[in-house]
Amino acid sequence: MNQREIADDRRVVGAWPDALLTVAAWALPTAFILVPLLLFLTLGFFEVQGTDIAYRPTLKNYVRFFIDPGLLRTFLKTCQLGLEVAAITVVLGYPVAYLLASLSGRRKYTVAMFFAVPLLMSYIIKIYAIRSILGGNGFLNRTLLYLGIIDEPWTFLIFNLNAVMLTLAILLVPFAILPIFVALERIPRNLLEASADLGARPLLTFLTVILPLSLQGVVIGASLTFVLAIGDYVTPQMVGGIEGFTFGRIIYSQFGFGNNWPFGAALSVILLVPVLMAIVAADRAGRARYTT
Amino acid sequence: MMRLALPMQAALWAVAAFVLLLLYGPLFLAIFFSFFAFRSNRVQWDSFSFSAYAKLMDNQRIIDALTNTFVVGVIAVALSLVIGTLLALYHHAGRGRSRDLLQVVIYLPFLVPPIVTGLSLLIFFRQIDFERSLVTVVIGHTVFVLALVYRNVLARLQTVSRSLVEASLDLGANRWQTFRYVLLPQLMTALLAAGILAFALSFDETLITLLVTGTKSTLPMWLWSMMRLGFTPDVNALVALVLAGTTLLCLLATRYLTKP
Repeated sequence: MNQREIADDRRVVGAWPDALLTVAAWALPTAFILVPLLLFLTLGFFEVQGTDIAYRPTLKNYVRFFIDPGLLRTFLKTCQLGLEVAAITVVLGYPVAYLLASLSGRRKYTVAMFFAVPLLMSYIIKIYAIRSILGGNGFLNRTLLYLGIIDEPWTFLIFNLNAVMLTLAILLVPFAILPIFVALERIPRNLLEASADLGARPLLTFLTVILPLSLQGVVIGASLTFVLAIGDYVTPQMVGGIEGFTFGRIIYSQFGFGNNWPFGAALSVILLVPVLMAIVAADRAGRARYTT
Repeated sequence: MMRLALPMQAALWAVAAFVLLLLYGPLFLAIFFSFFAFRSNRVQWDSFSFSAYAKLMDNQRIIDALTNTFVVGVIAVALSLVIGTLLALYHHAGRGRSRDLLQVVIYLPFLVPPIVTGLSLLIFFRQIDFERSLVTVVIGHTVFVLALVYRNVLARLQTVSRSLVEASLDLGANRWQTFRYVLLPQLMTALLAAGILAFALSFDETLITLLVTGTKSTLPMWLWSMMRLGFTPDVNALVALVLAGTTLLCLLATRYLTKP
């Protein structure tokens, strides 16, 4: 953009001095995004005394995380859960994305829409629907009972970490499909033709050309599902029961029954560490370019 | 992409069908059971009725929750459209570190897990002694969907030819007229698509809402509290209606998204 174009744009936006314009633009995002986030980041350095928060800086909340073996274990288990969900969604999502990319013309986007639409469907309704299938009194158990395949309802399907993993994987799989699809779409056709012309068979072309070039989509998709899985507290609460305790639930409980907001804030900051790592991974993958 | 061999295509379709089953199966089952009863561990095929839907209409709490959800959605969408457009115009009008930084701030609520966005707003409202109510829910939703509107409008602005704006100004239109009669019509479909998507997101928002809501609840909050009671036909009826509504919204949004 050259100087003149900027000047032209400014004629549209207004004759306000630049400083005033900047202040006006920053006002709302500062008040409702930055300030709350900064308050959130600092709250973890205070502690609760009685029912009030004592505003004397302390590291107690963070120390507590590292010395409480239960907390650390839940944290690691939640990270593992996030990785498992990311792995399942990528394994399921890659073939779907590959299929979408191989379709031609209008069909491609029509079929792709079917995989994107569930993203806009009510989250809580989807969990509810999945739970009513898996539950002890759910559709699957009652049908199996009726058919005489089992005598007692299966209980391993619900209210444990496996149920949380399964439900999250179903909920989040579109988040893996779409970035992989985009990455596959961006692979220049002439690279594939060159590979074939040089005598590579389809499998070799896939392994040496397509797969490496689509890895950035895989990383972005996996990061997305990982972040959403470890930060969730509603899904574990609804299908996790007592066994399916996750870090998100511990955080949430600090703002309810636990009523220890500073501690909850500190734990969320700790949650942000793997989140930031995933975002950085996705960002780096997204920036990766290849020459065509 | 290259054409695939037939067995490969079949295998990929099989995985795709399985994923579709996972995505849609539970929902269709819920819709199915809004019409049919499930007793003695099996479907009662002769029990087809709309009674679950009739019961829904009598439930004042559901009607209230639905009304709240609509009100919150409409206000949050309106606010985010206005603020998002202004911020996009600001970003488009120049360059510099301040603008890029502001962009990151706008994207933050979308980047961090919803629990963090929700918690920071919750803490913020308590610090400034602002009681939690539907107003705080509206603020939460606006902050959340702002990034989406901003992104959509900015992407569209970048495709609008500068000569149009120049011509308008040279022909004597003032800034407002240029915005109203030249820029806005160009932005219209982007605003519509963003508005519809933002409404769908707001309609469904759970993780932030649960933290910033007061005594009045939106539909996801009501469903969350109902969850403990389990599988009842009128919840299934509600599920069916909400799904029909969101599907309609999605179709509308894609129409506007695909139209240049």
